[in-house]
Amino acid sequence: MNAAIRSGALARIFLVAGFGVALSAMPANAQKPGGSITVGLELDIPGFDPLKVGVYDTAALTASSAIFDTLTYLDANGKPQPKLALSWEPSEDFKMWTFKLRPGVKFHDGTPLNAEAYKANFDRQKDPANKCRCAFYISNVNNVQAPDELTLVYHLNDPQVNWPSLVSYASQNSAVHSPTAWKAKGDEYNRNPVGSGPYILKSWTAGDRMILEKNPDYWDKDKVYFDRITLKPLPDAQSRFASLQSGEVDLVWDDEYSADNIQKAQKDSKLTVHTYEGSGAQVYAFNTKVAPFDDLRVRQALVMALDRKRMSQAITNGLSRPASNPYGDGSWVKCKDDGALPEDLEKAKALIKDYGKPVDFKMLVTATPRGRMVGQVLQQFWKRAGANMEIEQVDQATIPPRAFMRQFQLTPWRIVDLADPDIQMYSNFKTGSPVALANYSNPELDKLLDHARVTADTNKRIDDYCAISRLINKEAIWFWTFQNTYYAISSAKVKGLPKMYSGVIDVSRAWKE
Amino acid sequence: MAFFVARRLLYLVPVLIAVSLLTFSIASLLPGDLAYTILGDQATPENVAALRADMGLDQPIWWRYLSWLGNVMQGDFGRSFRTGQTVLQAVAERLPVSIELMLLAQVGALAIGVPLAIICAARSGGPFDRFMTGTAFGMLSVPTFLSAILLIYLFAVELRWLPATGYVPFAEDPIGNLRFFVLPSLTLALAEWPGIMRILRSDMIATLQEDYIALAKAKGLTPARILFVHALKPSSLTLVTITGINIGRLIGGAVIVETVFALPGIGRLLVSAIGTRDLIILQGVVLLVAAGFVIMNFIVDLLYAVLDPRIRHGHA
Repeated sequence: MNAAIRSGALARIFLVAGFGVALSAMPANAQKPGGSITVGLELDIPGFDPLKVGVYDTAALTASSAIFDTLTYLDANGKPQPKLALSWEPSEDFKMWTFKLRPGVKFHDGTPLNAEAYKANFDRQKDPANKCRCAFYISNVNNVQAPDELTLVYHLNDPQVNWPSLVSYASQNSAVHSPTAWKAKGDEYNRNPVGSGPYILKSWTAGDRMILEKNPDYWDKDKVYFDRITLKPLPDAQSRFASLQSGEVDLVWDDEYSADNIQKAQKDSKLTVHTYEGSGAQVYAFNTKVAPFDDLRVRQALVMALDRKRMSQAITNGLSRPASNPYGDGSWVKCKDDGALPEDLEKAKALIKDYGKPVDFKMLVTATPRGRMVGQVLQQFWKRAGANMEIEQVDQATIPPRAFMRQFQLTPWRIVDLADPDIQMYSNFKTGSPVALANYSNPELDKLLDHARVTADTNKRIDDYCAISRLINKEAIWFWTFQNTYYAISSAKVKGLPKMYSGVIDVSRAWKE
Repeated sequence: MAFFVARRLLYLVPVLIAVSLLTFSIASLLPGDLAYTILGDQATPENVAALRADMGLDQPIWWRYLSWLGNVMQGDFGRSFRTGQTVLQAVAERLPVSIELMLLAQVGALAIGVPLAIICAARSGGPFDRFMTGTAFGMLSVPTFLSAILLIYLFAVELRWLPATGYVPFAEDPIGNLRFFVLPSLTLALAEWPGIMRILRSDMIATLQEDYIALAKAKGLTPARILFVHALKPSSLTLVTITGINIGRLIGGAVIVETVFALPGIGRLLVSAIGTRDLIILQGVVLLVAAGFVIMNFIVDLLYAVLDPRIRHGHA
């Protein structure tokens, strides 16, 4: 195994040795500098200080990918490329990653962006006294060191072969803030963020618009085209789409729950639908420690009773793509056999009959129209199989604490699009993890998860992940309904939008024809 | 009059206390726990206990209420744990938008409702009156979000006369500001005018049957003078009440309208505070809005007394 790790590491060093790689894989001829873009977001951005907001949502991510920079970015093939880091190198065991930073980069306030600034960002989030929700997402990192101005070292608790990919998007953890700014501004920093990215926050009217202007000192300014980006929260899906149609905004966030708008836009030559079929899935976890889900037959019966195609038709006009494993078409994990249980109502009925007791349970759903709709559709499928599900509506913010405290029988969850399945699979299924919601423990599963995270050879990791999928599907501890698909709709003039990795709409390097 | 005002002010105190008590209990009545909301994935029992102690959540509810009320009395409504903004900052940023929306909506509703009511009353029982009464009844049952979307599709998407969503401050661009407010305030006005028309119409019909109107007719005054000078003022008592009470309804409507038209007002602030479980903002905003509503009613009472002297002397 050591040899495999070593050769993988070497390959990686060679891969990043050619730093001359252009920052994006966009067509080189049509870019037009100047002008501005107005983007309609679905949510109000609460701010940017991770200590305050905890986790960035999709709206905050669109803004943060323009205001902040990250160590790496993912190219069109999903491979990490240099951004603030010029090169990187793992230790043999993949528990230590050393990044060499780009020299001469400054934050918008003139503070030098060096390894010390990075370390300060990390330490601030990790400090238990700050009680940041953001700390959960870097719990895998033991510490960060800055041995010199331009060298940054991540010490991880567990091996992570794909770390450079995982720090590629401007999330609450990977966006790097100016330490001078947060120290000087205190509580006000949240709404006055200072990064080092291609755009500078010019003005922000609460609940209305955020105006970003091009950073004249950006290290890669030749590949930044718009002079100005305006971000507007437009919470209502119908009026957001109307604003796009009437030309007030150039690009809007969307999702498959407003399928009508997406399908209308697909037929409109003045509009472009940007689709990204990411990895991950919409998932559900059974609490296997409580009846009736402590019985395998019941769990399998409920999974077999699903008809994902009809469900997709009912909920999203057929836009949602059925999922049979947690990875999805957008992942590099492709399985010949993922062990999906067949959709078989008769078998489901037989299993419930065999169980012999009434199958009554409660399922958590979000108190939103879509949450209710999904709940009602599932309720109907399961009723036909002979199981009675009662919908328990709770607001979105209540689901995570209920899940962490295991106060549920069946809960919705999501495996988001990430460059590597490891972090989510490990935390969702490893015995004892706080997010192993199914309360399920299996030494074989643990062994596969451990093996997948220390193996550098991608093919071997794919074998591991497919074996994991087969095991979870067979044991039916979680099930998957739909794969993740991310949508944005723009005027046809908007070009150069990169792939929406993790659902992030990054307009910082787009232009208008 | 001074005695009347003083007595009414005294009534305000228990009402405001009740409002504050109800507002405060929102946080306790809503499911979930603020500490869990803040800590999220980090909500280990130790972290939760520590944070609860920090925030005083482990204290008895009456103690928490009193200390919250004490702070509120000193103008400290608390600070959002998500944005770091104080409640007063957040409200001050958003309030002008909501006030402008409500004023324009109220003016719009009166501009539609009052003339129609007068015409209907003057020709009561005629075809126009019957048609308008029916239309008003129909309009009452059209939900705000539906008329909002229909107006957007007609005026923003099809005709492109007005913007569908957005906002610009009045100080920055007065004309642009009004353009952004036309559709949202029209949406609210469409929901409000039927009530105004129905109330004023029936009051005016009653007034027009009074003896002094017959006298005015006998004197040969023009119908317009009779309607506007002699009949409108005494008929508008209920209208003033309705207009006052409407402020409460408008706040409710504004929550939807501000969301659909993306206006950065109090309604939007409330919706996003609920969505993110920002209970401190939620408590503060609800308290301020409720207090505003109570004070608005107080002003209506005063206006009432001005319009009809019998009321301040306790005869009516």
